[in-house]
Amino acid sequence: MEDFETLLKGSAKAHGHLCPGQVVGVRMAMLGCHLIGLDEPRTLPQIKNLIVYVEIDRCATDAIAFVTGVKLGRRSLKFVDNGIMAATFVNIKTQKAFRIVSTEESRDLAKVYAPDVIDKEKQQLEAYKKMNLDDLFIVEEVFVDVSACDFPGPTRFKAVCARCNTIVRDKREVLKNNEILCRSCAFGSYYQPVQKKGKNDA
Amino acid sequence: MPDKTALSSFKTIPIDQAVGTTLAHDMTEIIPGKYKGPAFKKGHKVKSEDICRLMRMGKNNLYSLDLKENQIHEDDAVLELASALSGPGVTFSAIPNEGKLELKAAYPGLFKVNIDALIDFNMIQDVMCASIHNNTCVEKNQSLAATRAIPLVIEKKELEKAVKTARENYPIFSVKMFNPLKIRLIITGNEVYKGLIQDRFQAIVEKKTKALGATIKETIILPDNQEMITCRIKSYLKKDTDLIITTGGMSVDPDDVTRAGIEQAGFDDTHYSSAVLPGAMFLLGYNKNISIMGLPACGLYHKTTIFDLILPRLMAGEKPGKRDLAKLCHGGLCMNCKPCRFPACPFGKSA
Repeated sequence: MEDFETLLKGSAKAHGHLCPGQVVGVRMAMLGCHLIGLDEPRTLPQIKNLIVYVEIDRCATDAIAFVTGVKLGRRSLKFVDNGIMAATFVNIKTQKAFRIVSTEESRDLAKVYAPDVIDKEKQQLEAYKKMNLDDLFIVEEVFVDVSACDFPGPTRFKAVCARCNTIVRDKREVLKNNEILCRSCAFGSYYQPVQKKGKNDA
Repeated sequence: MPDKTALSSFKTIPIDQAVGTTLAHDMTEIIPGKYKGPAFKKGHKVKSEDICRLMRMGKNNLYSLDLKENQIHEDDAVLELASALSGPGVTFSAIPNEGKLELKAAYPGLFKVNIDALIDFNMIQDVMCASIHNNTCVEKNQSLAATRAIPLVIEKKELEKAVKTARENYPIFSVKMFNPLKIRLIITGNEVYKGLIQDRFQAIVEKKTKALGATIKETIILPDNQEMITCRIKSYLKKDTDLIITTGGMSVDPDDVTRAGIEQAGFDDTHYSSAVLPGAMFLLGYNKNISIMGLPACGLYHKTTIFDLILPRLMAGEKPGKRDLAKLCHGGLCMNCKPCRFPACPFGKSA
């Protein structure tokens, strides 16, 4: 794995800017990979042994993805919408897993670690770079039972929605009133079709 | 009799020469009353410090494995078996444990088993699958079944036979999600209508229906008056109702007019009586998409009755008929255990 500064530079470039979240994300990912015994997570064969569950869709998530190489499309990055600055790093070969949470105390400790920096964001950025890991994170060893339908690799499961005929992959279908349905047909969708206006309505 | 072809894939290694051997399967350790699980996982490379523990586990020899082309390791086989057995609402771990995979509920609902197909599956050599009962209410992540290949190595043709049986009968296991039914409740009885005693049915029905995600939209207390009951049911049929529940008045006394009141309201299909105790004088009926349940008074005394067996099926969109009520006979007698352990008991588990 590359050193912290190189990873941070790459992460900021990939994310679009350098921010405290990038520092937290890079350090969290480096620690997570170390704890589960992966030193080169972005390259084969280790890239196939890693799944990361992120619990927030904010800056740090991009940093974690950059450092570890996990991707939504590879099914190695899982988004659990908890609104918590936390991630769980799973080595699917050894089943070793650690959940790392960014502490709220680290926000207050920023002024202790970088007292000379006035601007709050810059202060956090500098402080998080050198903060003790014990101050920055809460680390817990955990077990994650990764479901077969969440696993990377070729599509194993397919079903057809009885209402809209769409193919539903990876066991995301439900059985409702004796019909196999996609989630949109079963529960309603997050979108509403737009009624196209006729010529005279324009 | 062990399968000689399968055994020919194994080389036996005495434990004192096993350092450096890669384990061919999970090694189970049992500490009576405390622990049963894998002490060493498949793929573990035996170290010198492992030898004592392995010997304490009774292992004097280990297998090293060399699979033939027509053979499949138990861990690969069980993933195929679980995939073929699991229908909608059923998931399982990607990583087998001691050669087994546990099938779990992906969401809360009614667990369904194609029992005949499951028996056929278990008739096939070298595979097994055991499940909880059909028509059990399940929570998300609840264990539903477990499957495995019996030997460490299974013949490909036996695996294919098992997978084919499961696929041809798809789904052998599924979970039907509960609909958030809108319920209207009619409590009958002169004694509660006149205020001589306080109604206790409403709280019982509310608790049981809410637990499955239904909502009681309206409740009324009526006297034992057939016309009033009929009139109220008719008005509920015109409203946005999925299920009407009546309580009391289902027995044989002159004041028991609820059944007549229901029938008078106009249902296409009504079934009175079930092969269940408590709950013999139960009524189930349908008017297009609206169901009605007439609950006998036994529900006030017994913690678990026919109501607990039929409500989940209606919530899952099923329309049980006369034969379904009759099929409950075997296992339909409640043992009145104190305390009640339902649903972890045989009550209502035959259908």
